[in-house]
Amino acid sequence: MYDPKAIIDLIAANVRKTRNPFGAPSSLLNRWWRDIPLRREGDAMLFTGLMYQSVPYIEQTTKRLARLEDSFWARYVGLGRYVPSFLVCLGFRLMATDREKRKFDSMVRDIHKILVKSNVDFFYRPELDYYSGILLHDLGDEEGFARHASFVAKTLKAKGIEKLITVDPHTTYAMKVLYPKVTGESFQVKTYFELSKVTANDGSKRVTLHDPCFYGRYLELSDAPRRVIDNLGIGHVPVRSSGVFTSCCGGPAESVSPRLTAEVLHRRVEELKATGAPVVAMCPICLGNLLRAGVQAEDLSTLVARYA
Amino acid sequence: MALVYPQFAEELKRCGVETTLECFNRGTCAAICPLIDEHFPRKMIRYAQVGARDKILANARDLWRCLHCGLCTQTCPRGANPGELILGLRRLALKHWRRQSHV
Repeated sequence: MYDPKAIIDLIAANVRKTRNPFGAPSSLLNRWWRDIPLRREGDAMLFTGLMYQSVPYIEQTTKRLARLEDSFWARYVGLGRYVPSFLVCLGFRLMATDREKRKFDSMVRDIHKILVKSNVDFFYRPELDYYSGILLHDLGDEEGFARHASFVAKTLKAKGIEKLITVDPHTTYAMKVLYPKVTGESFQVKTYFELSKVTANDGSKRVTLHDPCFYGRYLELSDAPRRVIDNLGIGHVPVRSSGVFTSCCGGPAESVSPRLTAEVLHRRVEELKATGAPVVAMCPICLGNLLRAGVQAEDLSTLVARYA
Repeated sequence: MALVYPQFAEELKRCGVETTLECFNRGTCAAICPLIDEHFPRKMIRYAQVGARDKILANARDLWRCLHCGLCTQTCPRGANPGELILGLRRLALKHWRRQSHV
């Protein structure tokens, strides 16, 4: 296990410098929208919180952390914050493969497509799409989180933004529950799948839904993705733990102990494999972990966009 | 031997924890916790209740093993919100470490 303070201080320094946990400009991270005609005005803003876009980089970081965990070099991980920014940018560009980046970017593009097909009045402004800061909250740096959240909330409010459409459970929880508490600013927050009106009649397919902890328990939003699946005519194969009692994929421990993540993930994978059905995830962190463990899984956005 | 600090529950309120004294040590949290590890989080909660601040700080790294998955909070029969208590103890430990590194 890594020294939590070293990891937190590194992430906090990166968030202060670049408004994301990696210490590289968010413009390098957020590129899914570049060849899509975007509306810049509308009723609600699509707010990705940069989570899907981050997964290829999180996976590479986790791989490196896993190699060094409990080794002599682990104690030096916090020194990452003293690396010059041009080297951070260079390393960041080379860190993840184009294939991995395209894979996770395509999920955000699919979400965009689902919203368009559902006639949702929405817009997107990449320069206002910030990381929520949720990792700082989860790791216990409440002051760092509050500082970052206040910046994000004030910036969005200054642009007159009141309604957000979110795409992942962590950002949804941050914007819906934590931001009003720590910033005093509230937004009307809906997930993209609550707005999906995509319908089909694919009676031949059956899937198992993996509820992430934040949707299943903290936000009690498990019914909405099930309705989306129902609207496609797809059947559900129940997994042993779901809804408010869903099992964690182990993702939250990734930054301090990849080994612990692997142990917890293994148990969830056994539960999911027992259903015999392909798995549908709704969280980019869960999806990345499940795919790495060899589970036949895809994101809800990928599945729904196929019918859109 | 541990020093007991009776005002600890009050100190934890400043870390966002309002439910320190609610727990009656039923152990549901430790039974359902995916870590399956030496009475986590029950032991930490007990330390917090009796104000064993030094014990918590001595074992503080264990707090970051918590996945913040919320199963303990979901099943706690007292509504004592064990997950939030662990998060509050993380805030306390981090503040302590940061103060120490500035000394």
